[in-house]
Amino acid sequence: MIDVKKLHKSFGSLKVLQGIDLHVNKGDVVSIIGPSGSGKSTLLRSINLLETATAGEIWVDGKLITQPDMRLHPGENAQVIIKAHYQDPYSLRRRVGMVFQHFNLFPHKTVLENMIYAPMTVKKESREVAVERAKELLESVGMLDKIDVYPATLSGGQKQRVAIARALAMEPDVMLFDEPTSALDPEMVKEVLDVIKKLANSGMTMLLVTHEMGFAREVSDRICFLDEGVLIEDAPPEIFFSTPKSDRAKAFLEKVL
Amino acid sequence: MQLDFSILIKYLPDFGAALMVTLEVTVCSLLLGLLFSIPLSLFKISSIKPLEWFASFYTSIFRGVPLMVQVFMMYFGVPLVLPVKFTAFTAGVLVFSMNSAAYISESMRGGIKAIDKGQYEAAMALGVRYGAMMKDIILPQAIKSVMPSLVNEFISLLKNTTLIASIGLVDILRVGQLIQSRTYRAFEPFFAIAVFYYILVMALSFLGKLLERWVNKSDRR
Repeated sequence: MIDVKKLHKSFGSLKVLQGIDLHVNKGDVVSIIGPSGSGKSTLLRSINLLETATAGEIWVDGKLITQPDMRLHPGENAQVIIKAHYQDPYSLRRRVGMVFQHFNLFPHKTVLENMIYAPMTVKKESREVAVERAKELLESVGMLDKIDVYPATLSGGQKQRVAIARALAMEPDVMLFDEPTSALDPEMVKEVLDVIKKLANSGMTMLLVTHEMGFAREVSDRICFLDEGVLIEDAPPEIFFSTPKSDRAKAFLEKVL
Repeated sequence: MQLDFSILIKYLPDFGAALMVTLEVTVCSLLLGLLFSIPLSLFKISSIKPLEWFASFYTSIFRGVPLMVQVFMMYFGVPLVLPVKFTAFTAGVLVFSMNSAAYISESMRGGIKAIDKGQYEAAMALGVRYGAMMKDIILPQAIKSVMPSLVNEFISLLKNTTLIASIGLVDILRVGQLIQSRTYRAFEPFFAIAVFYYILVMALSFLGKLLERWVNKSDRR
């Protein structure tokens, strides 16, 4: 589903990602953990093209979404690769849903309008179809009773549940979660995690940047440990949390567990 | 000197017609100005340098040249060098709307800059293209913060339209001058005009408040 190959990203002289290789199968739930500043969010945002990689390639569903990196294709012709595989950012983003730390609901639109805006504008769905799906999704995240209110009236947890439903309204193949509970008051974390867990159990392919170790352990098929822009460990949760191989992962786990 | 406001009574129909002219020029200029200001403010935040330069140059001209000079330039000057002919109304509306566009775009730029970048990212992550994102997500939110200065612009526009009397359009001020030349009285007509404008501006401020409350309806808890 997602193939990240030798991904580099620099902001000026700051090297945030230094050659990440990551493979995510369809239906996988992969949690990306690591100290702050390790490049977790940048990796996630690169997959949705909110950041442009400096070098390396990202493939989603067999389509190349970044510029071809010729160093990865010695002897091949860039034009051929682009023609055969390249997909423009807009069609990619329709298939990759993203949930942000700060929700980013549109404050001037009601919950329903937030839900149906992109399906109607981007996928050109009729209002009836979009409203129908919006209601189903809001029902599934327990927010149907707030369908006509503006986001300002919602709590953080409620906003995030709406934001998840909004991303799902585009019927994505992959969902990216960028620290979805980090901006929440503690008592609201669970309601959001419950929604994400339900989604994980439904077979959705998910990449999750999180600081909730217990949750990552519970829902993930794999844990990716990132430190200083390098993917240090990539293992099933039971192995990673019980017997981390690297010293850095051990030190990190000692601090957070 | 005895004041005698009754001399104004027979000019009331003229005042009525002139009021319509003033309002027409003001409203047309504001709407056109608002329309022009949108591309102009987008130019100002654009990453394409020539567009940005053009927009700031445009604004500096309308800020730097007195409004009266702009009006004379448009009405008397431009038709001599370009194959165009303006009525006083057209020339006035053109100058005032171009002028408003310069000022509105400046506050609009501030309004757009103040929008959280998460709003852009959320729209982009949903696959929304630049045009739709600006039209549906960014500008409607920017308008909210621009609303107070928009009301101010409307008010100063209304007052500035008195300048079109100088190119012969019969607005409220011009009617006052006509009355003065016919009756040799100055206090009564100009006092009446002052009251006219004062009431108009108060009414506009009130409408502006209502409008502000309306655009901010989504903020209420």
